[in-house]
Amino acid sequence: MSYGKLPGFVAEHEAFGETTVTVEAASMRDACEYARDALGFAMLCDIVATDYLNWGGKGVSGYIATASGRDINFPSTQGLQTLPEVKPKRFSVSYHLLALRQPPERVRLKCWVDDGEPVPSVVSVWPTADWHEREQFDLMGIAFTGHPNLSRILMEDDWDGHPLRKDYPLGGEPVRFSDAQ
Amino acid sequence: MTVAPERPTRDWPIVAPPQYEGSRIPTPIPTVLPLPDALAQSDDVLRINFGPNHPSTHGVLRLIVDLDGEQVVGLSAVIGYLHTGFEKTMEHKTWWKCITYPERIDYVGYQNNELTFVLAVEKLLELETPEKAVWMRTLLCELSRIHSHLVYLGTSALELGAISMFWYCFREREMILDLFEMVTGARMHTRYFQVGGLAEDIPEGFYPQCRTFVEWMPRALEDYLALLDRNQIWLERTKGIGLLSADDAIALGQTGPILRASGVDWDLRRDQPYLAYGQVDFQVPVYPNGDVYDRYRVRVDEMRESTRIVEQCLRRLERLRGRPWIADDRKVVLPPREELHTSMESLIHHFKIVTEGYRVPEGEVYVATESPRGEQGCYLVSEGGPKPWRVHFRAPSFVALEATAACTHDALIADLIAIVGSLDAVMGDTDR
Amino acid sequence: MAKRLRDYGLQSERLLWPTKGPSHFEEEMGADELERALGLTTLEKAVRWAQTRSMWPDTFGLACCAIEMMSIVSSRYDIARFGMEAFRSSPRQADLLIVSGRVAHKMAAPLRQIYDQMLEPKWVIAMGACASSGGMFNNYTILQGVDRIVPVDIYVPFCPPRPEALMEGIIRLHEAHRAGVPPAYERKEVAT
Repeated sequence: MSYGKLPGFVAEHEAFGETTVTVEAASMRDACEYARDALGFAMLCDIVATDYLNWGGKGVSGYIATASGRDINFPSTQGLQTLPEVKPKRFSVSYHLLALRQPPERVRLKCWVDDGEPVPSVVSVWPTADWHEREQFDLMGIAFTGHPNLSRILMEDDWDGHPLRKDYPLGGEPVRFSDAQ
Repeated sequence: MTVAPERPTRDWPIVAPPQYEGSRIPTPIPTVLPLPDALAQSDDVLRINFGPNHPSTHGVLRLIVDLDGEQVVGLSAVIGYLHTGFEKTMEHKTWWKCITYPERIDYVGYQNNELTFVLAVEKLLELETPEKAVWMRTLLCELSRIHSHLVYLGTSALELGAISMFWYCFREREMILDLFEMVTGARMHTRYFQVGGLAEDIPEGFYPQCRTFVEWMPRALEDYLALLDRNQIWLERTKGIGLLSADDAIALGQTGPILRASGVDWDLRRDQPYLAYGQVDFQVPVYPNGDVYDRYRVRVDEMRESTRIVEQCLRRLERLRGRPWIADDRKVVLPPREELHTSMESLIHHFKIVTEGYRVPEGEVYVATESPRGEQGCYLVSEGGPKPWRVHFRAPSFVALEATAACTHDALIADLIAIVGSLDAVMGDTDR
Repeated sequence: MAKRLRDYGLQSERLLWPTKGPSHFEEEMGADELERALGLTTLEKAVRWAQTRSMWPDTFGLACCAIEMMSIVSSRYDIARFGMEAFRSSPRQADLLIVSGRVAHKMAAPLRQIYDQMLEPKWVIAMGACASSGGMFNNYTILQGVDRIVPVDIYVPFCPPRPEALMEGIIRLHEAHRAGVPPAYERKEVAT
C-alpha cells in the first residue's frame, strides 16, 4: 500500500506493526477522502488529539524495561540516556482508519497543529466523525472548521477550558493523611 | 431527505441486499434528526426530555425528542452525564495502577476493556505472554461477552415489557459471576489481567464448575428463544424497527453486533485475530435485515458461539495445568514472593516496580479488540516513563449512539425505546 | 389485676352502638387469650414498621454499581423479600434514593432535582465508593462524594459493593429507622 499519493503527504513511518502517515493539517480532508475512495479505508475508527506540551522532560530516560532498552542483567552495560524525539508542534491529531477487507488494514493519518490552528472537518467524508471531533474540541480545544455543530459534548456547555490539555490541572481535592499533621 | 454519498465498488464484506434506498443519515448534522419544515411552525409538536434519569436502565443518556402525537419527528442526544475523566486520571497513575481504570469504562463487559489496555501495553513492551495466560484470557473474555449479552437481553426485554426475561438472564449471570469470583476474587471489576499474563493461577475448582456452566448454557438459551422468539408481541415490537443499512452503518462507524445485524460480515476475532481466537473454531452470526430483531438474534447467537469457545478453551486449559501464568520478565512483572527472601536482584526488581513503576518504551500504538459492543480500541502514547502520556479509548457505545438519529426513521416513541435498547450503549463507555 | 381490653376504652363500635355487649370474637377467645394475641404499639412505631417494610427505591442507576443494584432485584439476592422490588421511575412515588455510581458535575444538578422531587420521608443510600467519597476518581469532573449535594443516611463502601453488602446497608437503614433515627435531612446539613 503506497501512501505517497495522499494529498498533503509529508512522511510515512512504521512501528510496532502499524503504519503512521503524516499529512499536512490543511489538506486533511482531502487526504481522508482519498483514503476512503482510492485506498478503500471505509471506516473511521477514531479521532484522537494528543497534547505534547513538556514532552521529553526530565525523568524520562535510562532504565527502560525491555524492547531494546538497557538490560539491567548485564552489569557492565552503560545506561545511555535516550530522550524521546522532539515533536514538531504542540498537538497531533490522529485519525485511525480501517479497511474492511481480508486481510484487514489499518492506518493512522496524523497531522500536527499548534494551539488555535484549525483542522478541516471530515464529517462530509465519514459522518461518524461528528461526535469524535466534538469530543476532541471539547477536551483538547482543537478547532475543526466546517463542522456543522461544533459544541461541547462531554463537559457542560459553559465549562471553561479544555480538560485534557497538559496545562489543565487534574482537579479533585487534596487527600489528607492522618500522619501528615 | 438525504442523497446517498458516492461509494466506490470495493470488496467490502456485505452479504445482504440493501435494506432501504439511499441513506438515512440526517443532514446537516448526522447525529441529529431535524424537525421537518412543515412541522417547525406547528403548535402540535411536543418537545420532551428523555432525561438523564429514566427507567430504561441504560444509565444517564438524555434524548431531546420532538413528538407529533406519538411519532418521533426530531431527535438529538446529549451525553456527558457520566464523564469520569478516565483519560486524564490515567495520565497521573503508573502503568500498573492504570489497569484498574479501564474496567470501569464499559462496566458491563469489563474484562474486554482491561484486555484492550493490557494488550496495548504489551505491544509497546513487545512482551510475550505464556500460553496459559492467552487461553485463560480468551475464556474470560468470552464469559464476559456472554455476561454482557445477558444483561443486554434482560434489560432490553424488561423495557419492552417482557419482564420475566430479566430474572432468567440474571440467573445465568449469577453463574458467570460465581466463576469470576472463584478465579479472580471479585464479581465485577476483577483486575485479573496484568501486563504479562494473569494476576494469579487458576484454582482447581474452576474447571468442573465452568464445565457445568457450559453444559447448562445451551439449555438456558433455548429457554430464552422459547420465551421471546415465537412471542407475537416481541416480534411485532422488534421486526422492521430501527432499520440501518450496511452502507449507513459503515459510514457511521458502527462495529460489532449492530454491523453484523445489518449484513456486514465483519468480526475482529476472526478477521484480525488476537489472543487464541485464531485457534478456536466458531461461527460469526450475520443477519440481513438491520432491524432490532436481527440485533437481538445476533447477540443470542453470539452467546451460543461464545459457549463453544469457552468449552474449547476449557479443554485446552485442563491440559495446561501447572504451567506459568505470567511472563518471566522481572523488569515488568513482580517476582514471586518466595524469591524475595533469597535473591537480591528480585528484591531490587520488586522495589523498583512497586515504587517507581516499570517504564514502557516510547511509542504509540492502537490496539483494537472485539468487545461485546463492537470494536474497542485503546490508543496509547508512551513517553518512556513510568506513567502513560496519553490514553484514549475508542468506545463502541459512543459510536453506537451516533446512529440513533439514523435508525429513528418513522418511529413511534415506543419504538425509540426498542431502538436505543438494541444499540446496547453503556454510558460509562460513551462518556468515559 | 391485668387490664381487660374493654378497660382500655377502645370504643370504636361502641360509640355508635352503646348497648352492644362483648363481640363474638372476644367471647370466643376469652379475654386473656385476646390480650396475648394482640400486639400493642404506638402509632409511630406502627408507621415506621410499615415504612420499612415497603420502602420503594427510585431507579437511579448511574454506573457499575447500578449493575449490582440490578442483581439484588434478581432472584438470588431477592430484594422483594423486603418489599422493595418496586423500583419507581418517578421520584414522586419513591422513598429511597440509592445513588449507585459516580456522579459527574453535569449530573449533579439532575441528582439534586430528583432528590427535591421526592416527598418526605425520604432516605438516601450512597452506594459504592464513588458515591460515598469520589472513589478512585479524584479529578475535575467527579463529585467527591454525593453528600456534597444531598444528605446521606447510609454509605455502602466497596467498588462495586456485593449485593449482600448493599442489602446490609438497606437492612441497617431499616433498623435505624425502626429505632427512631430520623432521616438524614433532619439530622444534618449537606457537607461542604
